[in-house]
Amino acid sequence: MSNYTNSPCAACKFLRRKCTSDCVFAPYFPPEEPTKFANVHRIFGASNVSKILHEVAPHQREDAVNSLAYEAEARLKDPVYGCVGAISVLQRQVLRLQRELEETNADLMRYASCLGSETTSAYGGRRG
Amino acid sequence: MSNTKNIHKGLLERFLDLLLIALIIFMTLKGGTSGACAACKYQRRRCAADCPLAPYFPAEQPKLFQNVHRLFGVRSIVKILEKLDETQKPEAMKSIIFQSYVRDRSPVYGCLGVTQQLQYMIWLAEEELKAVNSQLQLYRSQPQNGQNQYQNQNQNQNHNHSQMIHELGGDNKQQEDVTSQQLDLGMGLNVNNNQSNIVTPFISPLLPVSQTQQPQMSYTYSCSEVNNNGYSPPAYNTDSGKEILTNNNNVWGGQKRFLYNVNNGGGFSNQNQSCHEMKSNNGVMAIQSQLVNLQMASNHQQVEEEEDGHEYDEIHQFLEIIDDRQSFADSKEAYASSSGGSLKEQIDEIGENELRSAATCFSLTSMN
Repeated sequence: MSNYTNSPCAACKFLRRKCTSDCVFAPYFPPEEPTKFANVHRIFGASNVSKILHEVAPHQREDAVNSLAYEAEARLKDPVYGCVGAISVLQRQVLRLQRELEETNADLMRYASCLGSETTSAYGGRRG
Repeated sequence: MSNTKNIHKGLLERFLDLLLIALIIFMTLKGGTSGACAACKYQRRRCAADCPLAPYFPAEQPKLFQNVHRLFGVRSIVKILEKLDETQKPEAMKSIIFQSYVRDRSPVYGCLGVTQQLQYMIWLAEEELKAVNSQLQLYRSQPQNGQNQYQNQNQNQNHNHSQMIHELGGDNKQQEDVTSQQLDLGMGLNVNNNQSNIVTPFISPLLPVSQTQQPQMSYTYSCSEVNNNGYSPPAYNTDSGKEILTNNNNVWGGQKRFLYNVNNGGGFSNQNQSCHEMKSNNGVMAIQSQLVNLQMASNHQQVEEEEDGHEYDEIHQFLEIIDDRQSFADSKEAYASSSGGSLKEQIDEIGENELRSAATCFSLTSMN
């Protein structure tokens, strides 16, 4: 597939260069999504992204680009914490849920043991 | 008398010589051969007294800067720092270093992978909580006198529940028995009945990162741990702290692992579809196995918290298990793949590794 005849990709449009057929950005930065590349370029830089893409297997490049786009957008929205802020929030939520689960399981065990003792005494009463 | 004086003089001179040598050594160590920070060393330039990166990149940890340089680049970092207050700069740098470290360990998914793993963990925990709460409700609603038969059933069910929690996987048939018992009692996961109402466990990765949600995070940034390569990753402590994988063994043994695999082309497949598939194919068995895994993970967490592991080793081992082959689905991802079609995930039970990794993440201590 040649990009020469097609519209240049968002990256080449942004960088104002010719979009060749072997443009590494073309498959992942379609011209319909200009902000995607703009964000990634602002935070990471085109050359860094290019290097990352070359280091990653071809079938994983799309995932890599999408994750970079996510991180770039998060960093633009929150220059201090970026996507790490969201991770922190989620981690606290996990901890809270785990604690709640432990407490609930403990309650459950208490009920179970109570019922167990009641049943035992009921059986003992019958026989006795 | 004069001999004594001479001896004392000699000792004094020796002492002074030693003191001088110690002082020279101290000054040498303090100043180092160049005194440059890791950033300036990497760029082979003179480290000025007002170098903006020097406080964040000690010379003993060159890899930290290398990671940041690979992902962000110096100019980008400096631009970010210029826009921030003095109080915000350390936090920003910590998060940047952290993000770069994660990207180094997981070149494909980076922090997004961690985010989605955590989201999945949350979903699992919530499902288990629902199940346990419904069970608890049943116990509470029982009359005090109790009906022996019903109590026996509950005991059996409870025993099976405990068994489920402690049992290492087991076979599917056993789990099916537990499941059917639970379902008969009207408890357990109402998964199969809920297909019209599928809850998407994963939210969009573009989380609303609002300022109000941002905690004042405290990163216990440790520069003291240096391994043989002179590289010590950032260390972030939380209460969950030590829940890091120490072994990569799959506790479930022969159990299949819950994997989202990127088969062709990559991209983020439909989350709802994946969850629907999971629920309809393996149904309750998969869910319950995962819940047991969660329980075991939390049990293991308590053990791990008591261990005094090195933070580097913990993060190192944790991140080793991040499988770059995993793909994380997102139905509402704005940048969803247009190539390769929808991915067919191999829906297996999640291994302990994934649960631990999702739970651990990066040990961020947050203060509100």
